[in-house]
Amino acid sequence: MSPQRTRKAFRLSTPPGVDDFHEAGAGPAGGWETDEADERWVSTHCAFCGVQCGMHLRVAGQEVIGVEPRTDTHNKGKLCPKGVAAYQQISHRERLTHPLVRDGGVLRRATWDEALDRVVDGIRRIQAAGGPDAMATYGGASMVNEKTYLLGKFARVALGTRFTDYNGRMCMVSAGAANYRSFGIDRSANPLSDVAEADVLLVLGANVPETFPVYIRWFWEAMDRGATMICVDPRETALARVAQLHLPIRPGTDGALLNAMLHVIVRDGMVDEDFVAAHTAGFAEASAAVADWTPERAGEVCGVPAADIERAAQLYGRADKAMVSHARGMEHQVMGSRNAMAAINLCLATGNIGRKGAGYGTITGQGNGQGGREHGQKCDQLPGQRHFTDPGAIEHVAEVWGIDPADMPGPGEPIFAQLDRMEAGEIRGLLNICSNPMVSWPDEARTRRILEGLELYVVIDIFLSESALLADVVLPGSAWAESEGVVANSDALVCKINKAVDPPGEAKPDLWILAEIARRLGKGEHFPDQTPREVFDELRRASAGGRADYYGITYERLEAEGPIAWPCPTEDHPGTPRMFEDLRFNTDDGKAHFNAVEVDPPAEEPDAEYPIRLTTGRTVAHYLSGNQTRRIGYLTDQTPSPWVEIHPNTAAEHGIVDGAPVRVTSRRGSTVLPAMVVRTIRQDTVFIPYHWASPVAANQLTKSSFDPISWIPAFKTAAVRIEASEEPAMTVTPPPVFEGGRG
Amino acid sequence: MSLERSIFVDPSRCIGCGACVAACRECDSHRGKSMMNLDFLNRGESTLALPTVCMHCTDPVAPCAQVCPVDAILVSDDGVVHSPDPSRCIGCQNCVHGCPWGVPKFDVEEQLAHKCNLCYDRTSVGLGPMCATVCPSDALYYGTADEVLASRPNRKVVDVFSFGAQELQSGNWVVVPDEFSVLTFPMVGP
Amino acid sequence: MAALVLVALIWLGSNQLANFDSALIGYAVGIVALTYAVVMRYARWLRMPSTGRYWRRGWQLTTSWSSFRTLPGLLPRAIAGQLLLQGFIRRRGWVRWIGHQCLFWGVIGATLITFPLVFGWLAFKLEPGTQEMYRMWVFGFPTITFDSTSFLGWSLFHALNYTAVLVIIGCAIFLWRRFRDRAAIAGQRFGYDMVPLLMLIVISVTGLLLTVSASLFHGSYYDFLVVIHMAAVVLSLVFIPFGKFFHVVQRPASVGIQMYAELNGREGRRPCAKCGEPLAPDLFVQDLQSTLQDLGQDYRLDGASMPAGHLTELCPRCKRVARAEGYFAHDGSSFAR
Repeated sequence: MSPQRTRKAFRLSTPPGVDDFHEAGAGPAGGWETDEADERWVSTHCAFCGVQCGMHLRVAGQEVIGVEPRTDTHNKGKLCPKGVAAYQQISHRERLTHPLVRDGGVLRRATWDEALDRVVDGIRRIQAAGGPDAMATYGGASMVNEKTYLLGKFARVALGTRFTDYNGRMCMVSAGAANYRSFGIDRSANPLSDVAEADVLLVLGANVPETFPVYIRWFWEAMDRGATMICVDPRETALARVAQLHLPIRPGTDGALLNAMLHVIVRDGMVDEDFVAAHTAGFAEASAAVADWTPERAGEVCGVPAADIERAAQLYGRADKAMVSHARGMEHQVMGSRNAMAAINLCLATGNIGRKGAGYGTITGQGNGQGGREHGQKCDQLPGQRHFTDPGAIEHVAEVWGIDPADMPGPGEPIFAQLDRMEAGEIRGLLNICSNPMVSWPDEARTRRILEGLELYVVIDIFLSESALLADVVLPGSAWAESEGVVANSDALVCKINKAVDPPGEAKPDLWILAEIARRLGKGEHFPDQTPREVFDELRRASAGGRADYYGITYERLEAEGPIAWPCPTEDHPGTPRMFEDLRFNTDDGKAHFNAVEVDPPAEEPDAEYPIRLTTGRTVAHYLSGNQTRRIGYLTDQTPSPWVEIHPNTAAEHGIVDGAPVRVTSRRGSTVLPAMVVRTIRQDTVFIPYHWASPVAANQLTKSSFDPISWIPAFKTAAVRIEASEEPAMTVTPPPVFEGGRG
Repeated sequence: MSLERSIFVDPSRCIGCGACVAACRECDSHRGKSMMNLDFLNRGESTLALPTVCMHCTDPVAPCAQVCPVDAILVSDDGVVHSPDPSRCIGCQNCVHGCPWGVPKFDVEEQLAHKCNLCYDRTSVGLGPMCATVCPSDALYYGTADEVLASRPNRKVVDVFSFGAQELQSGNWVVVPDEFSVLTFPMVGP
Repeated sequence: MAALVLVALIWLGSNQLANFDSALIGYAVGIVALTYAVVMRYARWLRMPSTGRYWRRGWQLTTSWSSFRTLPGLLPRAIAGQLLLQGFIRRRGWVRWIGHQCLFWGVIGATLITFPLVFGWLAFKLEPGTQEMYRMWVFGFPTITFDSTSFLGWSLFHALNYTAVLVIIGCAIFLWRRFRDRAAIAGQRFGYDMVPLLMLIVISVTGLLLTVSASLFHGSYYDFLVVIHMAAVVLSLVFIPFGKFFHVVQRPASVGIQMYAELNGREGRRPCAKCGEPLAPDLFVQDLQSTLQDLGQDYRLDGASMPAGHLTELCPRCKRVARAEGYFAHDGSSFAR
């Protein structure tokens, strides 16, 4: 026998390219059973991303055992790998099944009474010393609207604090701010299906194939129809690959590009004068602001040929029907809101709004990214996208909540503004539900310092996330398939999520947890034990007459008709898939507003010490902070760890070969990741996906810089240096699990 | 063609997301085992990827079945080439190496070859196979040639391929640009 | 030929038919017919290009001098693993393994008892001058005597009941699967998958009922049961070459395949012509190429587009990637015009 042969002499080996199935990631918790006799199908929508694909969950008893694709209007049965595997998080072995409290620095099992007492005592202590505003809440936009609504009410009524905010602060807020300033309402003007009807598509900072795979069908349909696509992305994504014009601009320079396009459109008389005169305001200021943004100047700033910018402007400006779509690539910048305004300026100048195939849309990243910002967990809003600036809004909501309008706390501050107050010791307690800042916030070291410095840090989650690991009290909540509710997807389609099973073990519905804390704080009269349906009906009344008017949407209608787009003010209203078809806008003067866009440089420019631009983003197999997807076998198998994408020329300069370890260092931190040497990225830019925790967290490197308008972090524009590493690439730490006394 | 509806593979539409690989595992007739192959052509150069399903060859009928020494691979009357019968498969891997497309997989632990059976539990009752049902980009499409041609201009569908000197007809189809010559595809040999 | 050998053996083993139990003539005829059919089927099977090549190559390798030294270690291990313990089934699932082991040992046990009984190779005769002492005759030679009323005696006479219970347990497990498991239901055919299980159950149940009838009900319906039992057995035997039961005949080939892979694999694996990763033993690739040629399929490449003379010299992944390269070389990277 040859020396290398082991005792397993009888094992045949497989040739390359043939999967041995046992290498594939784990399946559902109960194994791959196929003999469940009492299986039932629960119709619902996916837990991940703003597309909200329809699916059936296959349920046996109290276990979710599989998925069956379901045709809904917007997904036609299609699912991405996350959607296929989403069900495996429900009956997952690592679910939190009982409360945890911190004792002597270690998390230990506790009863609900004990854990809730700690929460309530802590809140009382903090607020007695520092006033109501010393306690803050922070919610997630992956929760259904019933939960986000109740969290906003909980903060203002039960805690009486003005400091509530949500993780859409890292997702939707810059586009939302632009939407609001331009149109007076915060939602995508057109459904994304309009993409398929457009002649010219302008896509900015949106890696649709990886981040919204199911939306790719509209783009491919448009291409089949002969549409022309202009794709703006520093990487040649699978979308850019197909685009007729790919503009691989330097990250952080979208504003210059868009201003130059408007410059050309104005210069060459491509402006729709009638439309601008009749339906818009502020054109003169906006066009003045782009007067010196020639394609040549923008070409310098953006690092692409001026001729390409010129061509993009000509294509867009001369189209009969053009659609602009953008996502986080363009929004995660200090220019985030202004970039979106600049994009809307293009739509308004050419009259591309309010028509089928002609319009504008931002693609929301989170499952309830749209709905999550509408009903009161966002710091400056009350339910129904009502603003504190409107006294009527406060009165209306106070009446629904049964409180004196005078007791309504004022508008709060974005979470990243609150961080300064936490560092200063003004805010001393935080209740975090459904978010994992340790992975998702910029500058991980600062995040850890702040969370550890809190006097009371409470986490409600379904898994022990990296952020829950730092908490004083961890309360096990309900997952997506464990309660009924509605979400609003990227198109503002309100979709119904249905309950498949009960929360596992002692875990409780999130609605119960919030209401129970409120009751123990003595606010029981405002927080009776409500079913999700009762909470939704209260939400409907609270949103009635607001911008995001859900009043006409009921559970019954959603079950009978399928998803309905808000605003939907009455029960016989069909919903509003496309906004502004009457060319009336939600601003005070009924006109769409141009916004003059001044271009600022990115938050951090490469210099001699840190000469490379770092941009971060998502990969198809993972969702946000990965607290769910990093625990799902198939998805961790598809993409087990992060990497750093480097152009071959840059790699050669630094002596880096494909697969070799690379040390990436910024002013905030450093990590070692394997190199993926690809021609599909700019030479001066590297890319790292952000879903993992330290020591491989991309957010060890990013900077705490924010868009001054929306406070979205500038994730896409850090400066780093790279070097071939002697050390091997750092290994991924598996997501935390509670095991007895280990904390 | 004995398949009424079949899978149409259009590599140019593929976004490499892996939904097909994930969904294949969910089919009841081979739960937990993905028969899909998804290969990146050369990630260093581009994001191009190619999904490979069993083509259910019709002429010569199923080379995998023909090289099987124990008749483990059944070809049913509807043209579906089934996964090797576990009671017969002796784990020789002839099918793995004999398939011109590189489709069958081999489970070392179970000493058992597996291949796509067109989700027989689903397609035999009118449902689509898992991979094409979920495929976000329609790189995998389950239906008829007319449906494909109606929505995709400048395309044709082919079911005859040359692998070196061997010409082979398949039950599933590949969508190619109009100017493709059938016999020079897929350029494995002369 | 084999059938004739068998008949001769029956003649010899049964003391020139002296020990032959004429009541079992039906079985004997069935078995002789079965032998004929199985051998015919086996011969036809070996004529398949791939099978024949494995058959010849297997013997060639096994009888080569180099193998001779390792064979004593390899062969028993291969037989134990592949044929007796069937670990490969256990890795497909514990329940399946338990079911299959029950069926396997039940059927093997029953065969080992009944075939010699039928042929007269095995016989039990009352010792002259006693009421309960029996002597066991094997191939015409007297062996042990035992007390028929003892536990050993009872067990020997009723051994078939034990095997019947094992078979029924195994069949029940598989029938349960056939009705419940959607994976099994998807591709199953009644004749191929269900009938064999049903036949085994009929044989076992009627066999057990024979005992019940004899010991509890004084032999009522005994004759009827005998006919049913014999019919089911003979039918099953005749069924062997054509249906699922043929895997019993085929499966030992997996030992040969293991030997082939093992002995062959010592030479190392040849690299894939494109990516250079270890592919398969050279002899395997050559054999497969010859098999494909015998089947009239010609996958020779001209070597111009890649350094391979035959498609089988590429690993599965490189076959797929080569196809993608061909496609995209024409198509560019985009389907849009």
